[in-house]
Amino acid sequence: MRNYKSLIILLFVLVAGFSANAQDNISPERKRAIDSLALEKIRDLGTYISRVGNKDTEFSESNRIIDRALELFAPGSEMGVSSLYSSDIKYYTIRKYFERLMALNYDKVSIQWYNIEYVSDLELGPDGRYVGVITIYQSFEGTGADGLQYRDTTKKDITVYVERKSTQIAGREIEFWDVLLGDIRVTETSV
Amino acid sequence: MSENSKIRNPKLGKLDKNRNANRLKNLLMIVLACSLAFGTVSCKSSKKAAREAREREMAERARAIEQAKLDLQAILDDAGGMSIEAKERELNRIKGLNLDDAEVNDLINRVEDKIAADRAAMQPPATDPAEKSASERLNNYFQYIATANSINQANSLIDETIGMFSSDNAPLLIIINRSGGIVDYDRPTTIRKYLEYLKDQKKNLNAIDELVFDDNGKIKEIILIKK
Repeated sequence: MRNYKSLIILLFVLVAGFSANAQDNISPERKRAIDSLALEKIRDLGTYISRVGNKDTEFSESNRIIDRALELFAPGSEMGVSSLYSSDIKYYTIRKYFERLMALNYDKVSIQWYNIEYVSDLELGPDGRYVGVITIYQSFEGTGADGLQYRDTTKKDITVYVERKSTQIAGREIEFWDVLLGDIRVTETSV
Repeated sequence: MSENSKIRNPKLGKLDKNRNANRLKNLLMIVLACSLAFGTVSCKSSKKAAREAREREMAERARAIEQAKLDLQAILDDAGGMSIEAKERELNRIKGLNLDDAEVNDLINRVEDKIAADRAAMQPPATDPAEKSASERLNNYFQYIATANSINQANSLIDETIGMFSSDNAPLLIIINRSGGIVDYDRPTTIRKYLEYLKDQKKNLNAIDELVFDDNGKIKEIILIKK
């Protein structure tokens, strides 16, 4: 029985290894395209956050944008939120984070993402997915009727998963690179 | 030697002559035997040298054939790392070897087919005037939506654009890279979602690569490519 188990595990490792190898066989040019696709998704998310945080964005538009933003994430992903007033970092599901963002009690909210870059390059994992970490800086400004009420800068690390998938389009098989964002963790908060 | 010995004996003179003739005959026989023996050895060694040269030549050819097969197979297995020009250079080098081997010739044919397919994939698809016109209109709409001054203006432009399509769920593909005959796509989406993306992100980063029309002249599928 133990022998069978060992054999099955060995087969699984071999199949996983072969699959990983097959996906790793991509040219530097293709890898660069995938790298920049993932960076583009992060920039898109930054814009979505900025749009939803903006008090001028209509409620219906914000809800539509939230739906689009959620499509960028792997299921169950969480967003870390920090404050200069507390050392605690709270984590919310992405939808909850956006709902809280929409409900922030300021007259005006400005959120900008910048210095978006890889801190850990996309590497092929044993499950056949590429995993990397992209860091961003977020400046947040909340303004009330009396002027600026709160401002901080947060550094966040975003886990990125890239996976080869296929789907049927007009009766033909299309293979594509699916970029999904994972947890977004706060690593620094400063004025 | 005594005087007597100088006296010529006719019998003895005849014997000397015979002995000398025999000696000469023997000498000739030895020379002939030697020349025959050396001649055979020399012939044998030159034949051996020729055989060795031929064997060397055959071994070198076999090695060249094996290497050519490996090199040609590497081109066939290439997943995008080699440019078309590099493949052509390698192919021409191997063809220049004139190996005249059935398997190598078959691989050469297959590599030529692959290079032709790669080159065809690099060519932009031929466009008819209707597609060109629709493509220009669509490109303008993309730009207008991405730079619209208000949400209402963008929404109105989106509705107009959707009118060019058979459905607002018409599939939209984005090519993120095309090299070595391999096409990499982003996650497929729909025209509606893409137009909303232009409105939300205010950036128009893709060009139209291909439009597919239905029988009513409406676009039923669209492929974009990263600019």
